[in-house]
Amino acid sequence: MKHSVPSRLSMMAQTRQALLPWVALMTRRWPRFLVGALLVWLTLAAGLSLLGLSGWFITACALAGIAMLFGLPSSLDVYVPGGGIRFFALLRTVARYIERLYNHDTVLRLLADLRYRVFGRLTRMDEAALRRHRMSDWLGRLTADIDALDNLYLRLLMPPLVSLLVIVGVSLFAAIWLPGMALWLGSVLFVLWVGLTYGMARLCFAQSHRQIAYQEGLRRLVIDQLQATAELIAYQSAAWHRQQVADHENAALDNQRRLGRHTAMGNSVIGVITGLLLLLVFWFGGALVADGTLAGPILVMLLLIILGINEVFVQLPAAFARLGSSVAAAERLNALAVDTPAKEQKLPAHELDVVMRGVIHRYPSSAQPALDDVTFELGCGEQAVITGHSGAGKSTLAALLTGRLKASQGEVEIGGCEPWAIKETQRSRRIVLLTQQVDLFDASLEDNLRLGNAEASDASLWKVLEAVALDDWARTLPAQLKTPVGERGQQLSGGQARRVALARLLLMDPSIVILDEPFAAIDHATAEHVARALSDWLEGRTAIFFVHHGSRLLMQQVKHHWHLSGGKLGPGR
Amino acid sequence: MMEQPLTARSWLKMLANLERRRLNLAAFLGVLAGLQTVIIVVGVAWLVDQLVVHQQTPHQLVSGLAVLAFCVLGRGACQWGQEVVSLEASLRIRQYARRQMLDKFWVLGPVWLAYRQSGGLATQAVENIEALDGYFARFYTQLRITVFLPLVILCVVARLDYLVAIFLLISAPIIPLFMALVGMGAERVNREQFAAVARLSAHFLDRVRGMTTLQLFGRTQSAHRDVWWATDDYRRLSMRTLRLAFLSSAVLEFFASVAIAVVAMYVGFGLLGYIDYGPSTSLTLFSGLAVLLLAPEFFQPLRTLSQHYHDRATALGAAESLVTVLNESSIQRSSVPTPASGRHIAYLEGIYVEYPGRGRVLGPVNLTVNQGDVIAISGPSGSGKSTLLALLAGFLSPSQGELELTAPHYAWLDQQPALLHGSLADNLRLADPTVDKTAMLAALSKAGLGELLSQLPDGLDTLIGERGLGLSGGQAQRLALARIYLSDASLILLDEPTASLDNDTEEMVIQALLNWAGEGRTLVMATHHPMAISAARRHLRVREGLLEEVAYEA
Repeated sequence: MKHSVPSRLSMMAQTRQALLPWVALMTRRWPRFLVGALLVWLTLAAGLSLLGLSGWFITACALAGIAMLFGLPSSLDVYVPGGGIRFFALLRTVARYIERLYNHDTVLRLLADLRYRVFGRLTRMDEAALRRHRMSDWLGRLTADIDALDNLYLRLLMPPLVSLLVIVGVSLFAAIWLPGMALWLGSVLFVLWVGLTYGMARLCFAQSHRQIAYQEGLRRLVIDQLQATAELIAYQSAAWHRQQVADHENAALDNQRRLGRHTAMGNSVIGVITGLLLLLVFWFGGALVADGTLAGPILVMLLLIILGINEVFVQLPAAFARLGSSVAAAERLNALAVDTPAKEQKLPAHELDVVMRGVIHRYPSSAQPALDDVTFELGCGEQAVITGHSGAGKSTLAALLTGRLKASQGEVEIGGCEPWAIKETQRSRRIVLLTQQVDLFDASLEDNLRLGNAEASDASLWKVLEAVALDDWARTLPAQLKTPVGERGQQLSGGQARRVALARLLLMDPSIVILDEPFAAIDHATAEHVARALSDWLEGRTAIFFVHHGSRLLMQQVKHHWHLSGGKLGPGR
Repeated sequence: MMEQPLTARSWLKMLANLERRRLNLAAFLGVLAGLQTVIIVVGVAWLVDQLVVHQQTPHQLVSGLAVLAFCVLGRGACQWGQEVVSLEASLRIRQYARRQMLDKFWVLGPVWLAYRQSGGLATQAVENIEALDGYFARFYTQLRITVFLPLVILCVVARLDYLVAIFLLISAPIIPLFMALVGMGAERVNREQFAAVARLSAHFLDRVRGMTTLQLFGRTQSAHRDVWWATDDYRRLSMRTLRLAFLSSAVLEFFASVAIAVVAMYVGFGLLGYIDYGPSTSLTLFSGLAVLLLAPEFFQPLRTLSQHYHDRATALGAAESLVTVLNESSIQRSSVPTPASGRHIAYLEGIYVEYPGRGRVLGPVNLTVNQGDVIAISGPSGSGKSTLLALLAGFLSPSQGELELTAPHYAWLDQQPALLHGSLADNLRLADPTVDKTAMLAALSKAGLGELLSQLPDGLDTLIGERGLGLSGGQAQRLALARIYLSDASLILLDEPTASLDNDTEEMVIQALLNWAGEGRTLVMATHHPMAISAARRHLRVREGLLEEVAYEA
């Protein structure tokens, strides 16, 4: 949990390295950025102009009023400035409204781009990486990280750009009357700008960079408490664990406290600097007014503009204080990028056999290999049962055969090709797997079934539902095939979901079929019905059944029976 | 403990009360900063009046400038103080709320937790409590400032020019109206956006979660395109609602702008003498400029509040879901076990257990567990075996009957031993936080993990779980055995300790059971394993909540 405070170079380098790919993605939409920034600028400029012009107008009126008291003629045109004031008041409101809509639209477009890119990276992940992520609460983090990058544009890219533009605009405007003063005015504002962007980022980088890590650590400790409640009560070690939670929480909150204090300082510095700047302009400008070299109304206009300029800076401190957390989010997403070699091999058109020779597979995180010297041959059209407990290595074996994992050592061949290198479209058509953990998507029943075959007719959908004994049930549903199955298929029972998953395989015409616990969570009578339909469909296909315990029925059907235990494959018992 | 169920609002109020002094101080500092802003803008108006109308030079006005410089610094300090103090309040409140939550999980106990997703509950205790931050750190204080500061500004304006004050006053009754409007708008947008974002995220996560399936079916490409289209559809939909929703904040913006414009026109024409009504004849550049600058300040607190409005909605949403957990009623024993007399470890008479919604799961049960008993409990799943064990462990209180337990602490082993996200040593300390390294090494080798340990370069400090070494089910169970070896508990409760284990580990567990029985420890285990049952001196069978002693050897 230790993070050294990054040195100056490394903060910039780290930021550039982490954010560059994402900023590059965003700048594809640069015309929208430009328009959005201009709209914000227009809003701010209209606000400042409204104040400045009003100040000028009042002062000019006051002077003209005094002149009239002395009987001097007044040449003040009240209609043009009056119109200007009304115009700027309206412009500020309208520009703000349009700006918010427009930029929100941009942000949502960016969200689509970001999700598209991240999803693309995920599609190239192999089973080991997916498994690693499935274990943790990584999914929740994933969307939060994408949102963090989505905010990059509204928080980190546009505000500094716009405030810089306003500084330039205000300085140029002041330079019309007071070139010398405009120069130092612009310089002071520029230094303030640098302090609020770069300075804040530097001050808070380490803290905001580790903020999520702290939160994740706390989350892990809470999960520990929840999962180990029984043990903690039994062994009376609850106080010990609660102390750990409290210590970690204190550290996390301390980090937030420091971050918050820095941000608060940044916020109050804006008011102090612009306030003092106001007084300085009064001091120097006032001397010129007293000399008669500067008109009073002009000075009042400049003063009021400076009075309103803090609005330009208010977003910067909080946004740049959190640069570190954006960088951390980007780093996590960058870690998802994987290089996968092109998969070009093509399977022969005829039936396929399966060969494994001396296959060893080791996950980077575990001490023992998941598969240890596995060798077997399964001829074309032959079927095998592999028994084994959970954790014996069945899913690893299945992942190797379906080419979603590359064996650490040894040969895996299907029809003479290495599954890892087979073209995805070919592989997915010819080699199918019923996974132990069934994934149904949050869509209708028919959409989930058509995952197996997009062109399948309604009639064939009913046919496969009949094969898995779900047709009667489906007919009772009001929406029938169009019934939504819910997120993760939650509207269905575990057994129903497995049968739907099996049914979608039956729509396909593969050469190799791997079934992981095809009859789990299905009652005995239904299992027999499903087994009959399944054995008809499996006729002539090469098949492997993974089961906890082999039933007699199944054993009679197949040619081979092996047992997998602790990653080693031996003859069945 | 609590008579009335908590609501999100009452709970937030209770939390705010805990830090009332800090929150009030923060609001006070905020008002002070606002007052200093009033002094600054009025002061600037005075300085300008002196300079332009009264022909003073800046040198003659240096004392005025100094006062303003002081106010500028003071305002900076007050703003800083406001933020820091309310942040502190928010930090403390969250710390308190988290403790309350974790205590609640504790009180609810393992039986309640068994049916819940620990990930989801952890979100409650971490993310949802963090979501309260904005409400206490910003909204709560700003709401108090908004009530007070505009009134002060109004009084100052009234002293300068009562017509402008009346103009602001007329808009004052409109302000609560607009607050409600903005509130409703913001709340609606928040709700709708929240729902839409949640739906969209769910779609995205649904596809990510099913990535293995997409890969298996060769559908990654089409899902990839879907992700873009779904988000873009959501954009088009949400832009339609936002068009309306942003109007409410535009209205506030409009008011602030129009206030400046109207006051500027009024003051300008008044100074020119075009208006000869009421106070306008006595307008000076000082009073005119001051009211001009005060007009937007009048609306500023409200605008800030509307920016923080989503903090409130976020906190209410989070509190809503936290409160549902806090309102759960506990089924765990809360009282200290009654000391049983004599040789009894546990004494149960006429015990019934009922779960809300499930009815009776156990009872009537009569059972005496004596020192040194080795008891096997068998029965079909769902018959109440685990409930009986939970009862003996004190995880449950019976709904009826007499229960006496003595064991001050005991060892616990179930099918899926809990692994902490930490080192091997941390996982062993769970059984005894004071244990030393030698004892740990001995316990691990007794549990058959000596070989694994020798392969690990970091030894006992090796991290296990997600971020470290992955342990197989068998290795995890051995680690749990090592915990029992470390503890000197005389009572050991085991809930199906051999289910879904490989043969070697299964043998290991059985051997350990026999050893403990030999040492004279008391064992109560729910098991189907024939060897475990034959090792037991007493065998109980549970069927539909009833207990039947099958074998008893003294």
